[in-house]
Amino acid sequence: MQSSAVNSSNNKETTRSITFAEAVREALSQEMREDQDVFILGEDIGVYGGAFGVTRGMIEEFGPERIRNTPISEAAITGAAIGSALTGMKPVVELQFSDFITIAMDQLANQAAKLRYMYGGKGNVPMVLRTPSGSGTGAAAQHSQSLEAWVAHVPGLKVVQPSTASDAKGLLKAAIADPNPVIFYEHKLLYKTEEHVPEAAYTIPLGEADVKREGTDVTIVATAVMVHKALEAAEKLAEEGIDVEVIDPRTLVPLDEQTIVDSVKKTGKVIVVHEAVKRGGYGGEIASMIAESEAFDYLDAPVRRLGALPIPVPYNPALERAMVPQVDDIMQVARDSVHRR
Amino acid sequence: MTQADWMWAEPKEKLVDWLGQMWTVRWFDEKVDEFFAKGMIHGTTHLCVGQEASAVGVCAMLEDKDKITSTHRGHGHCIAKGADPDRMMAELFGRETGYCKGKGGSMHIADVEKGNLGANGIVGGGIPLAVGAALTSKMRQEGYITVCFFGDGAANEGSFHEAVNLAAIWDLPVIFVCENNQYGMSGPVKDMVKIENIADRAAGYGIPGHVVDGNNLPEVMTVMKEAVEYTRNGSGPVLIEAKTYRWKGHSKSDAKKYRTREEEKEWKDKDPIRFFQDALIERGIITAEEAETVKKDTKARIERSVEFAEQSPEPSKDTLLEDVYA
Amino acid sequence: MAKEVFMPKLSSTMETGTLLQWFKQEGDPVEVGEPLLEVMTDKINIEVEAYEEGVLLKRYYDEDEEVPVNGIVGYIGEEGEEVPEERPGAESKSEPESVPETPAPKAEEQTAGTEKDGGVRATPAARRLSRDSGVELSLVEGSGARGRIHAADVHAAADKQQTRSTPLAKKEAEANNVDLSAVKGSGSYGKITRADVTSPPVEKELQSEPLQGVRKVVAERMQQSAGEVPHVTLHTEIDMEAAMELRTQLLPVIEKQTGQRLSVTELLIFVGSRALKKHPDVHASMADNRVTKQSSVHMGVAVATDRGLLVPVIRHTEAKGLAELVTETKQTAAAARNGSLPGKELSGSTFTISNLGMYAVDHFTPIINQPEAAILGVGRMQEKPVVINGEIVVRRMMGVSLSFDHRIIDGAPAAAFLTDFKQMLEQPYQLFV
Repeated sequence: MQSSAVNSSNNKETTRSITFAEAVREALSQEMREDQDVFILGEDIGVYGGAFGVTRGMIEEFGPERIRNTPISEAAITGAAIGSALTGMKPVVELQFSDFITIAMDQLANQAAKLRYMYGGKGNVPMVLRTPSGSGTGAAAQHSQSLEAWVAHVPGLKVVQPSTASDAKGLLKAAIADPNPVIFYEHKLLYKTEEHVPEAAYTIPLGEADVKREGTDVTIVATAVMVHKALEAAEKLAEEGIDVEVIDPRTLVPLDEQTIVDSVKKTGKVIVVHEAVKRGGYGGEIASMIAESEAFDYLDAPVRRLGALPIPVPYNPALERAMVPQVDDIMQVARDSVHRR
Repeated sequence: MTQADWMWAEPKEKLVDWLGQMWTVRWFDEKVDEFFAKGMIHGTTHLCVGQEASAVGVCAMLEDKDKITSTHRGHGHCIAKGADPDRMMAELFGRETGYCKGKGGSMHIADVEKGNLGANGIVGGGIPLAVGAALTSKMRQEGYITVCFFGDGAANEGSFHEAVNLAAIWDLPVIFVCENNQYGMSGPVKDMVKIENIADRAAGYGIPGHVVDGNNLPEVMTVMKEAVEYTRNGSGPVLIEAKTYRWKGHSKSDAKKYRTREEEKEWKDKDPIRFFQDALIERGIITAEEAETVKKDTKARIERSVEFAEQSPEPSKDTLLEDVYA
Repeated sequence: MAKEVFMPKLSSTMETGTLLQWFKQEGDPVEVGEPLLEVMTDKINIEVEAYEEGVLLKRYYDEDEEVPVNGIVGYIGEEGEEVPEERPGAESKSEPESVPETPAPKAEEQTAGTEKDGGVRATPAARRLSRDSGVELSLVEGSGARGRIHAADVHAAADKQQTRSTPLAKKEAEANNVDLSAVKGSGSYGKITRADVTSPPVEKELQSEPLQGVRKVVAERMQQSAGEVPHVTLHTEIDMEAAMELRTQLLPVIEKQTGQRLSVTELLIFVGSRALKKHPDVHASMADNRVTKQSSVHMGVAVATDRGLLVPVIRHTEAKGLAELVTETKQTAAAARNGSLPGKELSGSTFTISNLGMYAVDHFTPIINQPEAAILGVGRMQEKPVVINGEIVVRRMMGVSLSFDHRIIDGAPAAAFLTDFKQMLEQPYQLFV
């Protein structure tokens, strides 16, 4: 069902279509109606509606007690969420830009991730930290990063990175229900993408990848906005006779290794694409996982990675585009893999 | 010291229990010190010998449902909040029966059932957590208050500022207790803050602040009693600064070059345990013999904890992956 | 009960092994099959695996120490078990042959595995297909970057291998409605020829059997020598007229005395032994980087048997007359052929002669019988036109080749030996000097 949900604007007449941002809001609202322990805290999430308008209108329905507008205090917001989660609440933090995770990092990496383990299994931290990530908005170096590999590296945290509105809704419900701290990335360029999203609440379990497009010649594992670029590349490559399979892991931690491995066994070629800087990016983890897996003996081309250049995100739009993988880049690497170059 | 008169009217058992708690804290940390010196405990530890009155005095004013967050120098807070010294000692020995199944050690003892949300190895790391716990109490109207212990060093962390401000604007039921033991590791507090009292910072957040002699149990209790009443009835947070002194070094292998032996002696003369014990005898509440019995019994109690810890099994390697995720 | 860890006998010629490294400390737990120590033999370095599980209780040898085959190098048992403090003697083991034999095949498997397709650039998928289909990667042309072999290349090679056929065969197949893919080719690289199509041979399962017995020993020794020794081979032709005349004269004498006929081989042994005494450089051996100049000549004579090549040794040949040599050579060769020769008579040679003169072989390059410095390969004798003093005459010429170990001797002394040998045979009266 999820694969058909992509680019399904042609279904508009028969099914309801909403944006990614609306899907996130819908999931939040449905969970808050369902469970009094769920509340949101973050900067400018009240009447302003959040930096990207995700919580717009929610304070009217749920009131300032549960839509908690906070001072600009990322460490305290995150820490307070952890403390309240530890004592039974299910907080959802909105961090205005994922770049600001640096300021909340002690609370995430040293507190949220480790409390349960350090305390010998006593205490859960059922919280979600939602945060907009990625470049493409011209916001330059401190408001455009993709730092998901940082948190994926820390045991105790789960990391979700949806690429479509319908995935975002189902995954957010699962994240809120999860008894662990979950970092939930929302790519800024995806907020306005629209597709059919079922109205009733539903869950997409964490740790289940989605095959966004089936193919036989080469596998592309892509995350967030790169899923869409990979799909576009796939359509164009189909005209050249190259049949691309596109897999969206959807959650980085836990990672659905089997779906990726099965696909690579089928195609024998794989490209991992993310917007984050390639060096030290999560694509390296996926690539090595493949190399260590049973898929190794099926590899018929080097595992390839595509990621951003190792530079801060530049302001100039052309430079910004040039920094991250684009459709043409993906196509070229796919051709190289298939044509044994 | 007339404000503390209420305390002397408390039943004898309570008074003796508080004395006993202070001795228990002292013997526990003295024992830990000894084991470290002998190499029987590994890692690191931070001892609160000399600071017993603030831990015991603060926690004595709490109800069972109330919560605390503690610090790296947290053995005293744990014991005062009702932790079992056996399981604490076992944790320091890294044993399966320890509070954290041997995975936390000295800096991470937590006893969630007893309202102890845990010690913290990050200076200032626990302050936002306390605010969060207080937020739960307020949102769910659970009626408990949270005490947030921290040191003079943590008062200079950003998390202190952010968290106290957040608690203040939301009127959260949390009491921030700064145990000012004069040094952040080697950094003298007088060199690290420009003001006389850390409690003075309360004004900056629009909340009440109190300075108290942290080695004087009746005074600590009296200030704390008032703060608890204030906070529990919904008036918001309070900041208390208890001035005290750690007798030992910051952690193991501290040559204490940053302070004089004369200064140490001066503070040792203000021993919080002897002060309270003398007062009890002076007022005829207990005899010198009874005081000696408390001292001996608590020492024996810790010896039993050591035995328990030593006889406890090591954790199995099978537990290595447990409890990373719920 | 603690079990001994032995220095395994990793090859037929191995007498000691050098303990290169231990992988386990005393007190370490050990699983069956885990590498325990690394041993260097005169041929290879090999990891020796544990046969027992338990704890490594004792190590008697340090790294770089030499250990006799079957020597106890340590004990594996349960923690706290008593084992001897001192290094036990190697001879205490009652049945030395039983344990050490097992790891040897493993070593060969490993060597074989690494050498196969070792230097070929191929994707993992291509390698997997090669394993599954039996298509050797070294015969596959890679279409990828820098010649990398991809799965498609292996597929193509497999297809090609299956249906490579001559045009005639193809025609014939079409005419007779024969499925070429079902026909096994008898041509080069399995190419199907017309004959294969017209009379498809009965499909016969090819049999393979493991190397064993004499074959295995020969294989190991040849591989070792060919791999280790820088061989140089010198060829010459010897005018055998004088020697053959001598033989004709001595034949009845020796036959009367021994009942056996004097053959060229015995003549060569006789002459060769004397030539060797004149050339101590060539009459040498090398082991453990030490060169030993031999004194008595113990001549190894290569003999083909049903079980494989054997080299029985005739001792002190420099001191024996032709009659004695005839008797001994015939006896030992016969014994070698029927398998009754005691093992000790198959070792200890100081020089070897391999005579293929009974076949249509002019020259060949023999492989040195280590640790000897040289070997003489003898070809057939043939009447040839040769120029002597400006005149073409017909002489019986015999091709001989001397392979020598260039580590031990250089070309000049080897050539000098061969020249002397040639002269002695061409002018046999010199031998009386």
